[in-house]
Amino acid sequence: MSADETDSSLFSDYAPLKGTFDECFDADGKVRPETERVVQLLESLGGREFRTRQRLADTTFLKSGITFSVYSDRRGAERIFPFDLIPRIIPGAEWERVRTGLQQRIRALNFFLNDVYSDQRILAEDVVPRDLVLGASGYTPEVSGIRPPGGIYVHIAGIDLIRGPDGEFVVLEDNARTPSGVSYVLENRMMMKKVFPHVFAESRVMGVEEYPIRLRDALAAVGPAPDDEDGTAVLTPGPFNSAYFEHSFLARRMGVPLVEGRDLFVDRDRLYAKTTLGPRRIDVLYRRIDDPFLDPEVFRKDSALGVPGLVRAYAKGNVALANAIGNGVVDDKGIYPYVPDMIRFYLSEEPILGQVPTYVCAREDDLAYVLDHVGELVIKAVNEAGGYGMLIGPQASRRERKDFAERIRSNPRNYIAQPRIELSTCPTWTSRGVGPRRVDLRPYVVTGRDDPWVLPGGLTRVALVEGSYVVNSSQGGGSKDTWVLEETAS
Amino acid sequence: MISRVAESCFWLNRYIERADVLSRMLAVNRAFQLDVNLPDTERWRPLVVVAGQEDDFTGLTEEDERDDPELVQDYLSWDPRNPSSLFSSLRAARENARTIRETISLEMWEVLNDLWVWIESKTARRLYEKDRHAFYLHIRNQCCLFHGIAQETMLHEDPFEFMRLGTALERGGQTARLLDIKFHSIGPTAAEQESPAEAAQWLATLRSCSGVEPFLKRGDKPFSGPTVAEFLLFDRSFPRSVLHNLHRARNFLDLVCPPAPTTIGSQSRELLNETLTRFTARDIDGVLEDGLHDTLTWIVGATAEICGVIHDEFFDPTPIVPRKGQQQQSQQQSP
Repeated sequence: MSADETDSSLFSDYAPLKGTFDECFDADGKVRPETERVVQLLESLGGREFRTRQRLADTTFLKSGITFSVYSDRRGAERIFPFDLIPRIIPGAEWERVRTGLQQRIRALNFFLNDVYSDQRILAEDVVPRDLVLGASGYTPEVSGIRPPGGIYVHIAGIDLIRGPDGEFVVLEDNARTPSGVSYVLENRMMMKKVFPHVFAESRVMGVEEYPIRLRDALAAVGPAPDDEDGTAVLTPGPFNSAYFEHSFLARRMGVPLVEGRDLFVDRDRLYAKTTLGPRRIDVLYRRIDDPFLDPEVFRKDSALGVPGLVRAYAKGNVALANAIGNGVVDDKGIYPYVPDMIRFYLSEEPILGQVPTYVCAREDDLAYVLDHVGELVIKAVNEAGGYGMLIGPQASRRERKDFAERIRSNPRNYIAQPRIELSTCPTWTSRGVGPRRVDLRPYVVTGRDDPWVLPGGLTRVALVEGSYVVNSSQGGGSKDTWVLEETAS
Repeated sequence: MISRVAESCFWLNRYIERADVLSRMLAVNRAFQLDVNLPDTERWRPLVVVAGQEDDFTGLTEEDERDDPELVQDYLSWDPRNPSSLFSSLRAARENARTIRETISLEMWEVLNDLWVWIESKTARRLYEKDRHAFYLHIRNQCCLFHGIAQETMLHEDPFEFMRLGTALERGGQTARLLDIKFHSIGPTAAEQESPAEAAQWLATLRSCSGVEPFLKRGDKPFSGPTVAEFLLFDRSFPRSVLHNLHRARNFLDLVCPPAPTTIGSQSRELLNETLTRFTARDIDGVLEDGLHDTLTWIVGATAEICGVIHDEFFDPTPIVPRKGQQQQSQQQSP
């Protein structure tokens, strides 16, 4: 068959939203020079071919079991994380700024955690309010005075970035506990290579495949045991956890065992796995279990997921935990506004990455402002994630606003507020052709003994519902492959 | 490998084996009923007895129901309250597999998952109502498919050996249970002349193990209770004979036992060797003299005991690291 007249163009009807930065097109609807080549390559396929390949991708994901579980399902049925084939493109020069900004931020967060759990210099000098830190629910006095092996707290970070109308990447929140999603980055990339080998080959995209090896090496580097008895393992809560696929995936790709709490025990303050060849020493545990469940001797007594005595082994320096215990204090959204000050305080540098202006309801002036402007702000509980515990003022009903204001008044420390940012959009395949959908970006940063290493790109999450600002997989979000283009030599 | 993962491998295959054997038993017993006129009590209940579920079954049913053929078949095939039902075994197999997805191959998972989704579906229920033979055959074939796919897609390393160890020990015990059906339906076996019903029962037993043709290949033996029992107990090469499976179990156990100086597995090996020695000390005449039923009961108990020691040694080890001095001591003890 010759040229198909009924076949539609992918991008000819595409119109970016007013007042919103679009990743591929400028305000006049003209394709940006950095993304032009990729847009052309996709366009050359045509709408029909594109649709066929999207279907191919969906079936492949389902068949190969790249899924997340849905807790409520009796059969433990798994669903795929919806994947959109139009990549999100980041030019190399722009990425370089993000990369160095993330390295800087992780270094500062690490200094901060070391400080908070030892001398508390930054509190003494009143750079970050003492009450705010000690009152954070993620602050863990049980680990005060314990220095984790190598002094590293944040081995794996997922820092959520967004772009406002000016197109600049800014930090939205820090995830220094157990950020998930990196397995989708790797699987998405594999899928793109399979579905668009041609487009991919011509686009000079930076690779992501080395992540598991980087992670394995970084973890091994902080292990305290001598070489002949060291061992790394991934600790999972078990197959009913929604991220079990990722736990299993990372263990396989790192070539280390996947264990549950009941596979481990502590003897004479050392951690061991029960194996069919006898006890095997574990000196690095990449744990995907939250702090409160780690050790029933120290935290929640009813936890069957953890290992009795683990904190003892950790305190003696016999096992590295990735991430360290107590990192929740930097995930606290009430601490987040102070990160630029931490960077200045510890590194004597100006922050490279900006962040979203934030009203901390624990501060009286801010509280008054927030209560007067509930309808304009996005209000978040400081310890929630996944899009829960949040009010999007402009979209909420009167009743919801009133209820939320009540909750803020009764516990101001628990809330922060931010102006609603017009998240940038990226062209996305929908049932009615390609349309603009809002995206964020979660890059992953791995830190061993050396400088933090940033995975090129990261997980682009996309709000698939038209007009939606919520990108979380639990709430109708999908994902895209993120292409960081190599700088051309010219 | 991690002990829990080894245990799941072991049990995954034990459950597959249970489903396989039970579907064979149920299919053959059905065909057998057509050939022979037996009193109601002798028809179906023996299957409940050899499955070890007599007490539970009695507790769940009224006395006048217990010989209802449909009710017994339903209990053995579908009842989720019966831990040995086909339904329960397939569910348990899938659950074990689900926790070790990173260990088994994707293809193995797909077979198990499909089988589970199928048995929960209306299609399976309809097939059971319409063509029960085809229903049981489907389960049996999927179990064979699972074994074949495992063989061809898994690394032939510890996880695979623990799976095969599970199959061998479960199958040895199941063959003994199968042989014992006749005791519970017709009565003890003697070397003397047999009734037509007995002969038919023996043929059915052989058929349920896919053993008719292999038996005939053994040539000179006349077809009788004792020769069939001898074949299913002592044949070296028949894949479902007790001896063959004990030998296989010993091979797989050797493959998963760690090299010295640790002694993990030594108790399992010792018990398995003792069992083999005791089992092969008599021929079929000796067995009949002592009573076939008692021997079969002993085999079921012995294989279960071996599984118990394997559990203690490999799957649920004491969470203590051997101290240096102790290790040397146990080294000296091992032969």
